[in-house]
Amino acid sequence: MKNKLTLSMLVMVLVFGLIVAGCGAGGDKKPAAENKAPIKIGFFAPVTGPAAADGDSVTKAAKLAVEKINKTGGINGRQVELVAYDDNLKPQEAVSIAQKLTTKDGVVAAVSGSYSHTTRAAAPIFENAKIPMIAAYALHPDITKGGDYVFRQSFVGTAQGKAGGYVAVDMLKAKTVAILNVDNDFGTTLADSFTQYVESKGGKIVSRDKFTMVEKEFNPVLTKIKQLKPDLIYMPTYSGTGAQIARQAKELNLNIQMLGTEGIDSTMEFLKVSGPTADGIIITTNLNRESKLKATQEFIKDYTAFAGFAPDMVAASTYDCFMVLAESMRKNGVEPDKIKDGIYKIKDFEAATGLIKGYNKLGEVTKNVQVQIVKNGAFTYYGEISDPAIITPPDK
Amino acid sequence: MLLQQIVNGIVVGSVYALTAMGATLVYGIMRILDISNAGAYAIGAYVSFFFLLQTGSPIVALVMGVTLTAAFGFLVQKFLYAPLMNKSPNVSLIAGIGLFIFLQDFLRLVAGPQARELNFGKLLPSIQFPEIGLTLYGAWFLILGATTVLLLILWLLLNRSPIGLAWRATAQDLEIAKAMGINTNRVVAFNFILGYGFAAVAGILVGILYNSVYPTMGDVPAYKMLAVIVLGGLGNPLGTVLAALVIGMAETLIGGYVGFFLPRDAIAFVVLILILLWRPQGLLGRRRTS
Repeated sequence: MKNKLTLSMLVMVLVFGLIVAGCGAGGDKKPAAENKAPIKIGFFAPVTGPAAADGDSVTKAAKLAVEKINKTGGINGRQVELVAYDDNLKPQEAVSIAQKLTTKDGVVAAVSGSYSHTTRAAAPIFENAKIPMIAAYALHPDITKGGDYVFRQSFVGTAQGKAGGYVAVDMLKAKTVAILNVDNDFGTTLADSFTQYVESKGGKIVSRDKFTMVEKEFNPVLTKIKQLKPDLIYMPTYSGTGAQIARQAKELNLNIQMLGTEGIDSTMEFLKVSGPTADGIIITTNLNRESKLKATQEFIKDYTAFAGFAPDMVAASTYDCFMVLAESMRKNGVEPDKIKDGIYKIKDFEAATGLIKGYNKLGEVTKNVQVQIVKNGAFTYYGEISDPAIITPPDK
Repeated sequence: MLLQQIVNGIVVGSVYALTAMGATLVYGIMRILDISNAGAYAIGAYVSFFFLLQTGSPIVALVMGVTLTAAFGFLVQKFLYAPLMNKSPNVSLIAGIGLFIFLQDFLRLVAGPQARELNFGKLLPSIQFPEIGLTLYGAWFLILGATTVLLLILWLLLNRSPIGLAWRATAQDLEIAKAMGINTNRVVAFNFILGYGFAAVAGILVGILYNSVYPTMGDVPAYKMLAVIVLGGLGNPLGTVLAALVIGMAETLIGGYVGFFLPRDAIAFVVLILILLWRPQGLLGRRRTS
């Protein structure tokens, strides 16, 4: 009996081994690039899980971008095909997706429509496979540090944190600031670099409190901040939490200027939930709704028609990743190496999120930081930061 | 400041009490931790949201949200838990978790992943007392009022009515209660209807308080509820209320005076661990002598 069991287990292990080996062999056969077959671009986003709203926004942006590229002639006559996965906002999922995209799906490039921790886990796999990946809006500095093949489409956290500091100290003349940050890569990176800038200019951080991204109750901490009477509250966090901070601060009669980040640049979740209480909140972001650029206005119009709601920062950033890839492929060729080289060559490219001045040797984008203010339930222009000392990303 | 923080704490505690009450009732009789009760919390809020959109009437939205979720509780008991009753409690626990995950993704697919606003309009105005630095939100009166009334009704039901007697007998020993001629199936079904109704009320009130409903809104209650139930002494309704207030108050006061040096949920669980070290049976639980 026992022997029989051992034998059958051995057979199972063997069969399993063969299947795995078979898959591996199949994966090695990458399609040759010279034919007219569609060009595959990989994509992953948190379609399920706690960030499903962002996942939905960016997936729609990715589909719209691919549709747009194909409608305008494809890549020198070849169509583009999207290979999309859901990472559930989990790093382990992002890793297995990156492995699937690089070994089995035969993609020539990829876009991360996900957060910092998931993108950070996936980046080294793309780097090792020598397949270029652009992170749409994940802002942790480590993402691009792995090597040449990883790029970023939004500002690195340290640049946006600095820009927030600039808005606080130089534009709004705040001397004392209370920080409320979401406790993850996103909030911590922004709060740290914001603090550094504000303190270097003689400002003072009077308190710093952190919370999880599912927090809803801010009355205790806002009551505490009310006693401290800061000139400004800096809140690097997301829409769900940001909307509650806005609402509860209003109810508590806080009357303190609030400064957010691209994290609350959301038309559905932030503006609708916070309603009139969001009026007057200023954010740093990369989407200027009143931009004169054709690319921006066209994107806003197309996206609203396609998705049924006005675009947010994550959608615009994701859309731009695909446009940058298309530009590079049209000009430089469709092999992964050539796409990578092509991205480094991009200069003054008109995108939905503004004029892309180029990418530095780390793969960090340089473009102006947009400052928007909520007025009558919509984000509108407040300012634009073009000072190279603020917006130039670090190159090491 | 202190007064404001105490009121904040009572409100947070009341929300927890309402949220955990449904699962406490179910645990009291069935001895299973019904995680899908946190799914009912989201269902209640969504049904209410749907009827608010369709009819524009807060009353219809509230009544339909609670009624349909209570009916859903009946179905869950009949088709999920009743067939598993004679199996190990682990089987029911896992089935409940499975149902909870299913419900979240079902809501996401049907209603979309975005947080939607549950705007009942200005039901009650906020009141300010600037001289003592106190603000009372309109929604707070609703929550405190609903919690007090519902818990009072529950107490009367359990302690002063024949149904309550049957409930307590069944909670003590299902088999003996059955032998004494109590229709335990009915008691169990009623228990689920009540438990899911409570979850729906909690979900709707929290939806109003934060002006948002979203598919994963049951996530935090799913584990917070466990802390409250365990701390309350497993299945003891009065213990649940007390534990909810203790956790709500501890989170608020530590968050308000020391700051959110830890995320608020972590503070709650540190408090839970400390109290359990001191009273392993929970605040009002009885120590098992056997």
